[in-house]
Amino acid sequence: MSAARMLPGLLRHFFFTLGLNLRNPQALVYGYLVPVFFLLAFGSVFRSDTPLLLHQMGQLLTISILGGACFGLPTALVAERERGVWRRYRLLPVPTGSLIANTLAVRLVLVALAALLQIVLARVIYGTPLPMHPAQAGLAFLFVAGAFLGLGLLIAALADDVPAVQALGQCLFLPMIMIGGVGVPLAVLPVWAQRIAGFMPGRYAVEVLQRSFSNPDGLRGTGFSLIALVVIGGAAACIGVKRFRWDIRENASQFPRAWITLALLSWVAVGLAALLTGRLKPVLAERAPYETITEAQIESITYDDLPGDGEFVTPLAPPFKDSGDRAPVDELAAKLRTWAPGQLDDPGQSIRNLVCVAAVADVIRDPREGKVARAVYDHLRANFSQDQLRRAFAWIVLYPEDGEVLNNLPELGLRRHPPPVTVRSRSALYARKFLGRLLHKITD
Amino acid sequence: MHLTWGPWTGKHPGSRVPIDIRALNPFWHEVMADTLPAGLRVRELTKCYGPVMAVRDLSFDVAAGEIFGLLGPNGAGKTTTLECILGLRCPDAGTITIGGIDAVLDHEQAMESVGAQLQAEMLQDRTTPRQALALAASFYRNPASIDNLLRGFALMAKADARFASLSGGQKRRLFLALALINNPQLVVLDEPTAGLDPQSRRELHQMITGMRSAGRSILVSTHNLEEAHQLCDRIGILNEGQIVALARPGELIAGASHHPRIVVRTAKPLTAAQIRLLPGVVNCQPRAEGWVLETTDVNRTVVELVKRLEAEENTLLELQIHRPSLEDVFIELTGRDWSTPAVEDMG
Repeated sequence: MSAARMLPGLLRHFFFTLGLNLRNPQALVYGYLVPVFFLLAFGSVFRSDTPLLLHQMGQLLTISILGGACFGLPTALVAERERGVWRRYRLLPVPTGSLIANTLAVRLVLVALAALLQIVLARVIYGTPLPMHPAQAGLAFLFVAGAFLGLGLLIAALADDVPAVQALGQCLFLPMIMIGGVGVPLAVLPVWAQRIAGFMPGRYAVEVLQRSFSNPDGLRGTGFSLIALVVIGGAAACIGVKRFRWDIRENASQFPRAWITLALLSWVAVGLAALLTGRLKPVLAERAPYETITEAQIESITYDDLPGDGEFVTPLAPPFKDSGDRAPVDELAAKLRTWAPGQLDDPGQSIRNLVCVAAVADVIRDPREGKVARAVYDHLRANFSQDQLRRAFAWIVLYPEDGEVLNNLPELGLRRHPPPVTVRSRSALYARKFLGRLLHKITD
Repeated sequence: MHLTWGPWTGKHPGSRVPIDIRALNPFWHEVMADTLPAGLRVRELTKCYGPVMAVRDLSFDVAAGEIFGLLGPNGAGKTTTLECILGLRCPDAGTITIGGIDAVLDHEQAMESVGAQLQAEMLQDRTTPRQALALAASFYRNPASIDNLLRGFALMAKADARFASLSGGQKRRLFLALALINNPQLVVLDEPTAGLDPQSRRELHQMITGMRSAGRSILVSTHNLEEAHQLCDRIGILNEGQIVALARPGELIAGASHHPRIVVRTAKPLTAAQIRLLPGVVNCQPRAEGWVLETTDVNRTVVELVKRLEAEENTLLELQIHRPSLEDVFIELTGRDWSTPAVEDMG
């Protein structure tokens, strides 16, 4: 049958399916009300941001699309299959593929409506700005929705019944929400979770949507993320269409495992490509904690009760007079210059890590402990700006429990690893000594 | 057109009074479309599910204006056969031609002239009959009038009601209406009356015979012997995936080797010798307070029996005549009970 002959039927099927969905209370709750709950929840959690929710719109829209595509689409398809609706469609004089495409188009419209509702409500309730690049936001939406609809189609092919759709959907939804950078922001996640997120489409979905919303460069530079979405969604969609089951009697056990493996391989391929091309560097919070330290906080720090530089706790050698004086820590100083934890994208955490080196040497009573501390101080002054050092030292002093602590440094020749809590407290003391010197409140 | 039965008459098929339906229902002419050429040809159809051969070398035709019944117990391969014809399953061998079109190679084109009512069908709960018919109609070149179908199948009052609110009979009528939405040449009905109450079953039988009157080829699968006898012009008895007999119901029964049976009970007990003296009796078995006779000539046996009872001033308390049935034919052909499935879960 020609496309022109099929058009009236397909158009009617499109509006018929759209109407059924819009009249289905359960579909409305999942498709529209749940995303609104997320919007309100995000509005509460990020209430101190300005403008409110601007930097969370990528996540919110991804949640809406994910819900509509990974739950809404397969739930509707499988429920219809269970009722024999797709068997009846099979009797029509049109290819079943055209009806599947139609169903996907309907879902795309439903998801687009949910996304628009999010944007409008965010604007009305929180004054969130509209997308900086509307056309690119539309393009990003198509990529994200396409990828997740492909996954939804695969779930529909895999699931025998509606409860199985819920189970499979949760298997995708929850990891992406919790550690995939969709619900919990990437910057808040530990580094291992951020790496895992690189293997999931949610991370790339959030990135492209968010950039079209708030980044002046828009989608420029997001080629990899767009390709990742196409690869993961495309593989799932191809397998979902190929293995589409219009009859309830074909059960999932007849689904060849090779197809499932192929779908998972697309995730692995994307993750590995991201890893090998250095795209999975740890993502930082938009404002690192040390940056929030104010001048008043720095001024409030006192230096009267510090242990002496030659005492048992936190010894600090005088400045090196010559190379012979420095010789015991030459090797360590050389290692510090290439030591990865001292060169993170986050200067605050890098400085804290370097201070930990002095603290560990002190706690484990390394014979060179005072010189190690001096070498660390010299390294810090040579590699960080005055402002970074002031704020980071103050942050370590005022918030000793913040950030990561390193207590196991065999690569620097410090073989024993003391308890983290002790390293934190010694780090705070060293930071105060370093800050005092930096501000000329303590003289060497 | 001079048709005999239809949903509009409300008459039982047993009361065979010809009725001109046009006079009664001017809308019906659209439902009863033009007489169409021969519908279905199946040749050497074979379908396996793994090691189980559900259907093997099945061949039959369904002519225009004919109701052809595929009769067999559960698991005999009826549904598999219908699903192969409808393209819901891919045959492993054989050909299926619908109106001259190869239904396997050109499924979509073949479906243009096929209407079907499947087993245990449902629609979305929120769909209305009118919507369902309108949606189906939009895919065909020559759809029937939706209003006429709704009226013809007594669904007008429920045209805009949700599918979930329809009764079982109304749902079945809706699926029959859907089967006719494209004015099909071939109508395939899979267990059309299963689970229906007697009244709804009668109404459906009238509708199906109405379709035949319109010249359509109708292929019905059923495991209901009485229904097959009442409804079908020809019957193919299916057993373990093969047609073991194919003829008109009357011919099938006439060809059976079973004799009619007469159950008789009298006030004064009859002896075996008295029974054997009756003309036509070939066998007799005692039954509680009476006898079961097998006879080659029911009329002569009964007449002679009554005469003798009168002569002996004996009183006839019970007299039943059992003609051979399709069940007898089936048991004779297959050597097993009707209710025993041929193969588990074969369809």
